Amino acid sequence: MSTISIRNLSKSYGPVAALSEFSIDIEKGSVFGLLGPNGAGKTTAFKCMLGLARPNHGEVLYDGAPLEARTFERIGYIPERSVLYDWMTLGEHLEMQRRAFSRFNVGRAKELLTLFSLDPRKRVRALSKGMRTAAAVVLAFAVEPDILILDEPTTGLDPVNQRAVLKLMIDASAQGKTILFSSHQIGQVERAAETIAILLDGKLLLEGAVDDLKSGWKIVEGIFDSDQFSIDGLGADPGVRRIERTGRILRVSVRSDSDNVANRITQLGARDVRTLDLNLEDIFLGAVDPSANLEQGAIVQNREQN
Amino acid sequence: MPSVFTVDPRSGVPIYLQLIDQVKRSVAVGALAPGEQLPTVKQLALDLTINPNTVARAYRELERDEVIETAPGRGSFVRANGATGTANKTRDDVAAQALSIAVRQAKSLGLSRLEVAALIETTLERWFPKEEAQ
Repeated sequence: MSTISIRNLSKSYGPVAALSEFSIDIEKGSVFGLLGPNGAGKTTAFKCMLGLARPNHGEVLYDGAPLEARTFERIGYIPERSVLYDWMTLGEHLEMQRRAFSRFNVGRAKELLTLFSLDPRKRVRALSKGMRTAAAVVLAFAVEPDILILDEPTTGLDPVNQRAVLKLMIDASAQGKTILFSSHQIGQVERAAETIAILLDGKLLLEGAVDDLKSGWKIVEGIFDSDQFSIDGLGADPGVRRIERTGRILRVSVRSDSDNVANRITQLGARDVRTLDLNLEDIFLGAVDPSANLEQGAIVQNREQN
Repeated sequence: MPSVFTVDPRSGVPIYLQLIDQVKRSVAVGALAPGEQLPTVKQLALDLTINPNTVARAYRELERDEVIETAPGRGSFVRANGATGTANKTRDDVAAQALSIAVRQAKSLGLSRLEVAALIETTLERWFPKEEAQ
């Protein structure tokens, strides 16, 4: 059974649908990355999961049950925006957290403060943006959570501390904890997450294991002698999802057997044919590109040549 | 453990396949000796900063391919026998793939089957002169 199950979650703010029929399952012990441009609905999804926003319909189940107090205690949460009080010290925040969470581990909190070189006597007001993020990481991990919900957990951090946060997540995952996180840094998601979902305008665009998505998508590129080449029959290939022609160059996004498509492009008279692997960034950009529709049949696009 | 592993997460090649490939190559060239212990899943995941389940997936496939074996509570080790067979197979796979790419390019340049065969013959002659044949 999966630890977290999000079912048909929908949430509107006035006339704006922030989330529409969003469903994913997050397996216990996995790291799940949520990707999407700003305003895609990631933070709304996190808030609905934590009971901080009430969905219009749909539900979130933890081990099959709705969120309740004892589940909430097992969740470490990093909100998108800092909820720290400017006038309080970091130590006072930790003390508040200790009183609210029975599993709060003082020793662990100290280790984490040292890891990020944070001084608990400092007032939040005196902390840089990156240090506030680090403080939020300390608060989330010090409650010894079984579930981590991390909304942009590396914002403002330097590369060393970004790496430290990723390692904390990897360590937690190796201990069987379940992690859902969002990040605009696709490289981080590519490292830490085994499964991802891409949200756009509140809707789920694409979901899958990172490694399977990479194996599943290829781009076949053909170069022709003139820009008058024919692409007859190419769109009929069930694996072809996107056809893009720019002058003498043809680029075809392919799901499944790319050899077939490469052969076909050779038969169409291409001078050179190459098959390229797609990384997560290519897949992400392809998915959120309004002119592409990766999941619903091929489209043909003619690009102006510069 | 030997720090022979590196992965490029930004590559389009799945990370678990990169790992499998590296372990196999390390065994093939002897950088990993039969009986040698591999890092634990957690250790390797932390060293490379990659998902632990991805490492576990690579180890599972390496076990299935009989490159490594896992003793519960002791860790994963390069198999004593079978490592040579795997090394040979890996070598063959890499060579076959390189040849396939070359032939496909020749074909897309418009060469006929006969012309490609003649080219291969010339290339063979260059690297494997007749007196060295066998």
